Amino acid sequence: MALLQIAEPGQSPQPHQRRLAVGIDLGTTNSLVAALRSGLSEPLADAEGRVILPSAVRYHADRVEVGESAKLAAATDPLNTVLSVKRLMGRGLSDVKQLGDQLPYRFVGGESHMPFIDTIQGPKSPVEVSADILKVLRQRAEATLGGELVGAVITVPAYFDDAQRQATKDAAKLAGLNVLRLLNEPTAAAVAYGLDQHAEGLVAIYDLGGGTFDISILRLTGGVFEVLATGGDSALGGDDFDHAIAGWIIESAGLSADLDPGAQRNLLQTACAAKEALTNAASVEVAYGDWKAELTRETFNALIEPMVARSLKACRRAVRDSGVELEEVHAVVMVGGSTRVPRVREAVAEAFGREPLTEIDPDQVVAIGAAIQADTLAGNKRDGSELLLLDVIPLSLGLETMGGLMEKVIPRNTTIPVARAQDFTTYKDGQSAMAIHVLQGERELISDCRSLARFELRGIPAMVAGAAKIRVTFQVDADGLLSVSARELGSGVEASIQVKPSYGLTDGEIAKMLKDSFQHANDDKVARVLREQQVDAQRLIEAVQAALEADGERLLDADERMVIDMQVQELAELMKGTDGYAIEQQTKRLSQVTDAFAARRLDSTVKAALAGRNLNEIEE
Amino acid sequence: MGTPCHFALFELQPSFNLDLDQLASRYRELARSVHPDRFADASEREQRLALEQSASLNEAYQTLKSPPKRARYLLALSGGELPLEVTVHDPEFLLQQMELREELEDLQDSADLSGVAAFKRRLKSAQDELNQSFAACWNDAAQRERAERLMRRMQFLDKLTYEVRQLEERLDD
Repeated sequence: MALLQIAEPGQSPQPHQRRLAVGIDLGTTNSLVAALRSGLSEPLADAEGRVILPSAVRYHADRVEVGESAKLAAATDPLNTVLSVKRLMGRGLSDVKQLGDQLPYRFVGGESHMPFIDTIQGPKSPVEVSADILKVLRQRAEATLGGELVGAVITVPAYFDDAQRQATKDAAKLAGLNVLRLLNEPTAAAVAYGLDQHAEGLVAIYDLGGGTFDISILRLTGGVFEVLATGGDSALGGDDFDHAIAGWIIESAGLSADLDPGAQRNLLQTACAAKEALTNAASVEVAYGDWKAELTRETFNALIEPMVARSLKACRRAVRDSGVELEEVHAVVMVGGSTRVPRVREAVAEAFGREPLTEIDPDQVVAIGAAIQADTLAGNKRDGSELLLLDVIPLSLGLETMGGLMEKVIPRNTTIPVARAQDFTTYKDGQSAMAIHVLQGERELISDCRSLARFELRGIPAMVAGAAKIRVTFQVDADGLLSVSARELGSGVEASIQVKPSYGLTDGEIAKMLKDSFQHANDDKVARVLREQQVDAQRLIEAVQAALEADGERLLDADERMVIDMQVQELAELMKGTDGYAIEQQTKRLSQVTDAFAARRLDSTVKAALAGRNLNEIEE
Repeated sequence: MGTPCHFALFELQPSFNLDLDQLASRYRELARSVHPDRFADASEREQRLALEQSASLNEAYQTLKSPPKRARYLLALSGGELPLEVTVHDPEFLLQQMELREELEDLQDSADLSGVAAFKRRLKSAQDELNQSFAACWNDAAQRERAERLMRRMQFLDKLTYEVRQLEERLDD
């Protein structure tokens, strides 16, 4: 969609029409979708009234089962049932091997380095499995809200790297969702709390989910949520508590650690049930096969102590990174189901010297916050009082330099969006190409960092070593996604890449998956696509007309105005018909001819905003 | 330089002594009007413009917020671009630097946490002192050389602060 929506404060471009948008928490163990309804953000329930959708996907020969029933089948059909798929997102085969015996799947390699899980429906990538969960949530939202979604805000752990973020965005695309923003989970939780309590000051968000841990330190000032620092561990969560208990059972019962997949699932379910029981009970009887024993909370606390300690260490680091003192943090918010564990609450209270806040259900708070932001991003709230979230990148971004070292270009905890350039030169006479290796991480050796992408700048004119000036520019957008470009300044030779992580799906794989899903398309879907094209066209026309009315005379000459009017007319005619392709093409054309107009409008808005009263002073 | 002056962007006169609260509140105001979230449903072109505007606003804010970066920027404004790295002829300061680094290594070996805290306090007061000296001379063309020297000292101490943080992290293991 081109143009517009630069409404003046207090006026909405389409006041009569609320645009449907949702917040989705795509969790390791559970997923939720929430939306703003009559001013209140709340999770949406399925037909049975359940708001939580277990992140479990079971593949049958002819259908896909998602949620509670799939989760229950995990022990009986372990190879076709995928749990905790989030732990595999954006990961390579070698990372997965590190998780090792914890995962009862058969893996096969794909076209990319991504691990595929072999199921009865053939190999499934973690992205596809996640997309299957998202599809269910999208259908639930459309059924409940009674219309098509304009888009969704999908939450990700703040500590997710570029590859994990990209994988999440790909999954959403595959599920037919328009991603308005990838939002960090702790930031989403802060929105839910901040809005509720009109909070000001420094807040820490401790978010321990099923498979990931995040800590964020934020400063809240007049509706602006500024993340000062974030930290965590994208492989630490309640799942690990289950594994610790399972290990204890294996040891106490004298079992062989080498269990078949079904037995492994059973064991983990037993362990998880014990963990949950210990939230309220001081001890619980654990039975596995004929073996039985008492697990006390004390023993459990000792089992998880190393993991709790790891999380607290990340908290201290985040506080140091944010440049504030621990005592200045005036509220600690608990997020994620695993913060129900009493030892976790106790340890966090000790570390921050205050009782943490738990008023909002820790399983729902992220989705609730995401829905609030989704509503704003969809354009329903543009009155100047909307929240502003200023987030950061969790891990430093850099390049490989001589000697296998990582040169940081953007340090961790830099506010996004950010663009930064660094100059490099050639090291050999007549060198005509330069390999650019993009990395993410904190360590000095590139072997300790995550490799995000490699590309080459070719066609550098022959020069002596050190004479070429190659500027590499990193740009991180508001989703935390990176793109990199390189340019030789003398000759203007250029190369750039939208960083496609080494562990992501290739474009070919995504295209194929999308095509496959289209082949299953029925008339309903064709009708739906046409409807979408008509809606897009209608929206564009309305937007253009509103823009013309506001600024047409000021910013366009008569010829320009005539061209735009003609194209609007043409699109309005086509919309009455059913030729979806023609509508789409004409929408694009109208969008193109109004592009310059849109740019002029944005320029004048932005300039006025940036300049305040001192317009003259900032003229170039 | 083709880009608007960072100070003008924030409605400030070029100066080393800044009201950081005022800077922060002006930053939030500006961020509100150009952040990509405001354009999440707009055209690709508008989104790209918002991304660029936002990124340069963030860059300006980061520059003005940090004393060494602000000092460097002021000197560049008043006397042209400065090379990022030069051989520093400041023997007295270099000697002091070496001593500080050695002290830091000893603190690591002895894992002395209260020693680290004391070191940080000293570092902070050294930085405050440098900031004051710089504020007094940067705008005087006759003292240009001294201002540049002070700015480089500020950069050194900034790096040292970063190293202290890394040390704290190692000691936290």
